Amino acid sequence: MALIRGREGKVPAQIFTASMADIVFLLLVFFILTYKVEVDRTKMNLPDTWVRIKVPEKAAVVSIAPPDSDPPLTIRVSTGEEMSLPVSTDEEVVTFASTEVARNPNKEFIIKADTSVPYERVDAVLDALKQSKVKYIFLLSDQKTVDE
Amino acid sequence: MNIKKKDVPSEIFTGSMADISFLLIIYFMITSAFSATRGLDFALPEDTQTPEIKQEDSIDVHVLRGGAIEVDHKPMPLEGLLPYIAEKLRQNPDKPVILRTDPDATYGDMIAVFDELRQAPDKIDMEIKTISIPTRREIENLWSMLGIQ
Repeated sequence: MALIRGREGKVPAQIFTASMADIVFLLLVFFILTYKVEVDRTKMNLPDTWVRIKVPEKAAVVSIAPPDSDPPLTIRVSTGEEMSLPVSTDEEVVTFASTEVARNPNKEFIIKADTSVPYERVDAVLDALKQSKVKYIFLLSDQKTVDE
Repeated sequence: MNIKKKDVPSEIFTGSMADISFLLIIYFMITSAFSATRGLDFALPEDTQTPEIKQEDSIDVHVLRGGAIEVDHKPMPLEGLLPYIAEKLRQNPDKPVILRTDPDATYGDMIAVFDELRQAPDKIDMEIKTISIPTRREIENLWSMLGIQ
């Protein structure tokens, strides 16, 4: 049986871009609202934990790079408002932390260290913070999941 | 002389708005980061209220190299830590826990044990009131005060 075919209308091939500007604006609003500058960008594999407390904004950061980074186990410090800077000795960590505590006695400190860092290095940083009379410390971690 | 006034249509050009938005999006995407903003917290005791914790009055948790632990000088699996602590806390709810870590152990090993201790309220329905993380210098000072080499 022959089918009666109507006139084939030509559909022009085009991509509708009219809503693109709206999507872009929505994305822009999202990024503006969630915008946060990471003061320390040392790439590392943080330890995973079940318990995770939100760290306060603008807390000072002391980061310890992984042993396989170049240079290894570099310590960087940041006031929480400026980008982190490397320090070469533990005494410099004490000086940095003491200055921050003198400015704000309740200043919180974050220790951001790779999971493979020898505890000796973390102990030295902890000791420096204790010497500087730091009251609150946060040990940065990632969320632990069931398969880990 | 008559000067003809030209009618200038009043309008705002929005043609470049999408381009500007794209540029702003690219800027925000590059400079912002979904950083880790959570972790384990602990408060350090102030000098005026530092309680003197004696080793025999506390639960001593020692993290060894490789992640193994010794509790009160006895090897113990990590799963056995909280049940042991629960038993001790039933006798004395104020009993502090001292978390010591071998310098050769990794930070990850120490955090695994600290995380386990912090889960006490969920796992054993009891709160560990004091978790002390002494530094090596503090331990050495204490030993020298006690005359231990």
